[in-house]
Amino acid sequence: METKPGRKTIGGNWSNESFLTVFMVGVLVVLFGVACAFVPNFYQPKNMINLITNNWFIIILGIGVTFLLITGNFDLSVGGVIAMTGVLSVYFCQGVNVSKNVLANGLGLPYGAAVALALACAVGIGGINAFFIARLKVPSIIITLGTMMLARGIGQVITRGAQRNTSLPDVFGVVGDLSIRGTSIKISVVIMIILVIAAYIFEKMTVSGRRTYLIGANPVAARLSGIKVARHLTFLYLTSALLAGVTGILLASEFKAGVANRATGYEFDALVISLLGGVSIAGGFGSVLGMFVGAVLLSVMTTSATGLLLSPDWQFTLKGIVTFLAILAQRFALDRRKG
Amino acid sequence: MQLTENVLEIRDLVKDFPGVRAVNNVSFDIKRNTIHCLVGENGAGKSTLIKILTGATFRTAGKILLNGEDFWAHSPKEAKQKGISTIFQELNVVDQLTVEENLTLGMEETTFGFLRRTDKINTMVSVMNSLEPSISPRQLVSTLSVAKKQIVEIAKAVATESDIIIMDEPTAAISESEIARLFKIVKGLREKNVTVIYISHRLDEIFELGDYVTVMRDGRHIDTKPVPEIKNRSELIKMMIGKTVFEEYTPKEGECKDAILQVRNLSNHKLKDISFDVHEGEIVGFYGLVGAGKTELARAIYGVDEYEGEILFKGRKLPPSPDKAIEAGIALVPEERRSQGLFTILTIRGNVPVMNMKKISRNGFINSSQEKKATVEYIDTLRIATNSTEKEASKLSGGNQQKVVFAKCLFADADLLMLDEPTRGIDVGAKSEIYGIVRRLSKEGKSIMVFSSELPEIMNICDTIYLLYDGSMKATMRNGCDIDSEKIVHIVTGGD
Repeated sequence: METKPGRKTIGGNWSNESFLTVFMVGVLVVLFGVACAFVPNFYQPKNMINLITNNWFIIILGIGVTFLLITGNFDLSVGGVIAMTGVLSVYFCQGVNVSKNVLANGLGLPYGAAVALALACAVGIGGINAFFIARLKVPSIIITLGTMMLARGIGQVITRGAQRNTSLPDVFGVVGDLSIRGTSIKISVVIMIILVIAAYIFEKMTVSGRRTYLIGANPVAARLSGIKVARHLTFLYLTSALLAGVTGILLASEFKAGVANRATGYEFDALVISLLGGVSIAGGFGSVLGMFVGAVLLSVMTTSATGLLLSPDWQFTLKGIVTFLAILAQRFALDRRKG
Repeated sequence: MQLTENVLEIRDLVKDFPGVRAVNNVSFDIKRNTIHCLVGENGAGKSTLIKILTGATFRTAGKILLNGEDFWAHSPKEAKQKGISTIFQELNVVDQLTVEENLTLGMEETTFGFLRRTDKINTMVSVMNSLEPSISPRQLVSTLSVAKKQIVEIAKAVATESDIIIMDEPTAAISESEIARLFKIVKGLREKNVTVIYISHRLDEIFELGDYVTVMRDGRHIDTKPVPEIKNRSELIKMMIGKTVFEEYTPKEGECKDAILQVRNLSNHKLKDISFDVHEGEIVGFYGLVGAGKTELARAIYGVDEYEGEILFKGRKLPPSPDKAIEAGIALVPEERRSQGLFTILTIRGNVPVMNMKKISRNGFINSSQEKKATVEYIDTLRIATNSTEKEASKLSGGNQQKVVFAKCLFADADLLMLDEPTRGIDVGAKSEIYGIVRRLSKEGKSIMVFSSELPEIMNICDTIYLLYDGSMKATMRNGCDIDSEKIVHIVTGGD
């Protein structure tokens, strides 16, 4: 049944999704080569590993954001959820009445209970997203902007706009400090890799993963074909919030602190790596693997730019420009295929 | 300028779509300052003709003379500038603006960006007043009835000195009393040096309003006559449907079995007290014009729209949601293939199993070899023209896309299939293939409901025919050699 790739259009018989992924991998390889040639110390193995390990939190967020983007929806609340969950896990864990400083006093729950409760709150934010977006059909960009503010706001109220980092039990910092024996690779990175693999399996092999694409490709046809669109979107928003919550717990543990301003702008980074990885903003296609490639691509770009000529102050500007380039590249690549 | 007798002359006009000749060598004249009616069944080529006149699509060949000069419009705007305005069913007015603002919309004159009151506005308002004094220029358009909105559009067309105003089914959505007023205004347009091209499925209107009538059928021009020369409705209906021979239909053998679907007193925003049964293995047709309520009936049964009354499927009440309907054994081929039926950016393999993922999965995991096998099977049985299961649905022709939608519904293993305009916009070959599939399914014991505005389609394949008009069930007929197609058209066009 298979035919040879056509000659007229680039990538002939490939699906748009695999075409874009391969296209972005190509861009990555070129950029990587350029960076190795010109950026001092870029080619060193340690730097290579850092390209991935330094971005574990963005990649975890990227999983939820990618799936929602494939359905044609945004989740901008993930950064706020990280901050809120981190702060709450600290607050729940801090001792009761141990100091005159209010920021040192918490609820004194055991670590496990504190984490579970904080994650429940994160899922609650996801529930608000789902209620408005899936049930009331409000545009996701508005609602998740709202929950982004709400979640970060809760973090700020509890930390009084600063942070909580005292009177924590030792157990609090264990997860964030763990690393694979003999290396500097943290357990968080391992969790990220496991989650990416799980997401890949979900995407490629499960019925639920397939639904994600169907909803993005045509929500009306999806409903008429018997797909419970609202239920599936709810599932994805809860999952995205849970992933952000897990990230928040891991980051809080690593820094042994709950900081209200943690993860500012991460929602945007997660969006950028999805776009760089070929996820369509119109919905319907994209992949977790592509998002992973996008994360490495962004990492290569920012590292080499800062290593080469720019001060770190430029990183926002750079990310903004990269977003536009990613969207232009998508358009360019897909237009060329139409033939 | 010497005015020609004919405002519009159409010569050998041809329009080809892939696989279909929608307008086939059409030639006729439209006399100046008359009301010229255009009638024909769905698919007769009326809309395509109008689209060419209004610049919404381009002709393949032929000539159009407007006021004796060669006419060619590349856009609706250009058509309007040259003197052809159209009042579509979907009105082009902005609800949030006042009548006056709507009249001048798109031709405001400004000084330094500020709106200026000009003679143009005054002309518009006075034309408006002469047509319908009860509409105030300061009124918000959202407060007007549909008929009055139409009058605002007519006023705009008259004031901008259009030679021709095309009206597409203007009475479809307005009440009886408003129709009378609208007709008075339309008749008055003749004195204002305007020619009206009037399209309607309601034949009585043609006798009341028209000076001339042009009948089209299957893309061809059948005749143009002064309306008084036509004796009655049935003569007009004969011209519309011609000597259609329905030889393909073979009456069903044996008696029908048990009722699988029972609908009792179904009413909603569109439907009025509809009751009927569908039996096992029966092909039931619902025939009516656009807006008669066919799609709404299908959507109510499928659980998409709300309703009052009772729908029993296999003796049980259906919960109102499509996924429950599919689970119970109903599948719908929706009216709009691309926007409601197909996942165009996915592959054929991505489309076919959608309505019954359980069949190709276990514990939520897709078995991709089963998926591929099933897709290949349906490509073969429905003869979908493709070289691969991995072809994107958007790259298939209309007929093959429709077959993919069919495959999707067949894969659901439904006992009742609802087909809403199953062959709209697909070529003749694919059409007859689809009829073949429908007949085969019925032989296998499946029940099928066909919702169509094409009479030959209904008469070719359906055992029982229900006629809908304006949301009500008007008649029931058994198909057979004694069926009277003229009577059917008489009923669905609003006759008693």
